Amino acid sequence: MSEPRYKLHWVTVLVETLKALKEAILPLAVVLFTGSRNNTSGNWFLDNWSLVFGGVLVIYLLSSGLIKWRRFSYWFEDGELRIESGLFVRKKRYIPFERIQSLNYTEGIFHRPFGLVKVQIETAASSGGEAEAELTAVTREDADIIKKRIAEGKKRKSQEAESEFEEGMEHAEEELSSEEPEAKRVFSLSPKELILLATTSGGIGVIFSGVAIFLTQFGELLPLDKVSDELAGLIKFGVFVVVLLILLGLFIAWLLSVAMTFFSYYGFTVRVSDEEMIITRGLLEKKRTTVPLSRIQSVSFIENPLRQLFGYGRLLVHSAGASGEGSTIQLFPLVKKKSLYAPLHEIFPGLDLREPEEKLPKRGRKFYYRIDFLWMIPIIAVVGWYFYPYGLFSLLLVPAVMGLGMWQHRSAAYRIVGNQVTIRSRGISLQTSYTMRKRIQSANIRQTIFQSRKEVASIHLNVKSGMGTHDVTLRQMDLKEAERLLAWYEPSHEVSGNGHEEGFVDLEK
Amino acid sequence: MRSEPVNRLSEKGLTVWRLYGWMQTGAVLLLAIAAGVLTFFFEWPWYIYIIAGAVVLLYGWLFIYLFPKIRWSRWRYEVRESEIELQHGIFIVTRTLVPMVRVQHVDTAQGPILKKYGLSAISISSAATVHSIPALEAEEADELRNRISALAKVAEDDV
Repeated sequence: MSEPRYKLHWVTVLVETLKALKEAILPLAVVLFTGSRNNTSGNWFLDNWSLVFGGVLVIYLLSSGLIKWRRFSYWFEDGELRIESGLFVRKKRYIPFERIQSLNYTEGIFHRPFGLVKVQIETAASSGGEAEAELTAVTREDADIIKKRIAEGKKRKSQEAESEFEEGMEHAEEELSSEEPEAKRVFSLSPKELILLATTSGGIGVIFSGVAIFLTQFGELLPLDKVSDELAGLIKFGVFVVVLLILLGLFIAWLLSVAMTFFSYYGFTVRVSDEEMIITRGLLEKKRTTVPLSRIQSVSFIENPLRQLFGYGRLLVHSAGASGEGSTIQLFPLVKKKSLYAPLHEIFPGLDLREPEEKLPKRGRKFYYRIDFLWMIPIIAVVGWYFYPYGLFSLLLVPAVMGLGMWQHRSAAYRIVGNQVTIRSRGISLQTSYTMRKRIQSANIRQTIFQSRKEVASIHLNVKSGMGTHDVTLRQMDLKEAERLLAWYEPSHEVSGNGHEEGFVDLEK
Repeated sequence: MRSEPVNRLSEKGLTVWRLYGWMQTGAVLLLAIAAGVLTFFFEWPWYIYIIAGAVVLLYGWLFIYLFPKIRWSRWRYEVRESEIELQHGIFIVTRTLVPMVRVQHVDTAQGPILKKYGLSAISISSAATVHSIPALEAEEADELRNRISALAKVAEDDV
């Protein structure tokens, strides 16, 4: 049976050409502007080579979009999505339905007037944030057909696997005819939160401006009176202008970042169905990302000190499949800690969200900052020597680093409950990771001789994240507790008396 | 205290590590000779000879004698029915646990030097990490590889 072949919408030409032009803008500019200076040699080609090359390049770029659109087709056959493309090299890509993990939709500004979407097809093999296949522009109806065909194909496969149950067939058909279950909305960003997110996300910009303001004050302290008065005046004026310009630049950069965050997170909504979460966001460019729930490996709540002060944080999930945004997905970009639990519980009903309460022993505290003296002492020595006496201010590093270390030690906590471990640690931001035992690929206990003398150890839990590893770490745990955690992880060492969830799992095995 | 894994590496592994140590020390020796020649021609201070010599001796002592010895005596492994446990490290002792359910595949590899000594290295890959056992008798390694891959197939996903 021959299946109908689908083409992309003609807007593809526009989108692809603009994309190609954007990518080639730098070489194009270089060719056009470097070449056109020396047009006096008399030889026509030598004078105008840059225009010729530039023209050829532009024509090539313009036609590449057209060719891509003309030669691109896709269809469904034998339980596979098949894509054919390319002019001289015909590329064929066959993707079995059951290997397709998610479909992501993006609506750019060119898509929206025509009711089109860009469809990105993700499989387990797609790596580095690049989709396995991309359909640049298809109509909504076609996108729905793709979705439906893939869902049908997947179902047929699972039916074949259990074909002895005729009832199952009927049941599945019934399910097919009905539309997919409405996904439930669990989280959306309120306008107030959106503005808060946009203004605080350019955190580095704010800090820079703060530093710059501090520096202008500091300018008064510079030993300028040693130089002659006129020169001093000149330098002061110059410094003032430069600082003003830098501040202005930083301010503009910050405004831009605020605007960009605002546009890209506008209307941020998370919906969840039985098997997947759907994240939609964006004002000018609408993005819709689908993440299968079964691919999620670990959940982390991150509070940077500023936001922690106001009770806010952001929630990340680590996914095994690389999706458009990489393997770390911002599930809730800004959320009040108090109102985090209800939506999170709807997505991950099995997750225990209680605060980790078990703390670290005090005897391990010095390991949080002792190693830092290795780099601090040389820096202080060098700076103190060459910039004496002001360089001695670098001694302030010692209390700062020690303070941070103690703060990290005090913030760290953990909780083992049933099949889940909750680990809280601080770099500068406080991070609380919720990880299920079956998502931990391997675990380490590490100990130096100094640590073993004090009977503390660091634990590392390796969780898959995209193509790589996300390392959930807790430093300076009590050795016995670290060993208890390792024993909890050890399959042949199922300890009883760790809550009844544990016993329940034992029975299932 | 958690008990250590029971199995040790092949004693020939120690010999191989010593051999690597000799090779590295040879490279350091060449650098030291180069420094000596330069010192001779540019008439740099005499103590550079002593430093170069001391560096070579120290490097040799550490990498031919001391480190291989500690490393070998620290290295332990144990393959049980439902997990693999490793222990290694000179300054930082690392104990690793890989459940059989998480094992994706097992490889053995043999470079020219390992081959000469009849040794083989095993690497065990999970979805996120790779762990290796560096020096086992070749037959033992093959046997272990087959055993791990059989156990990994049998192991059932819990939860």
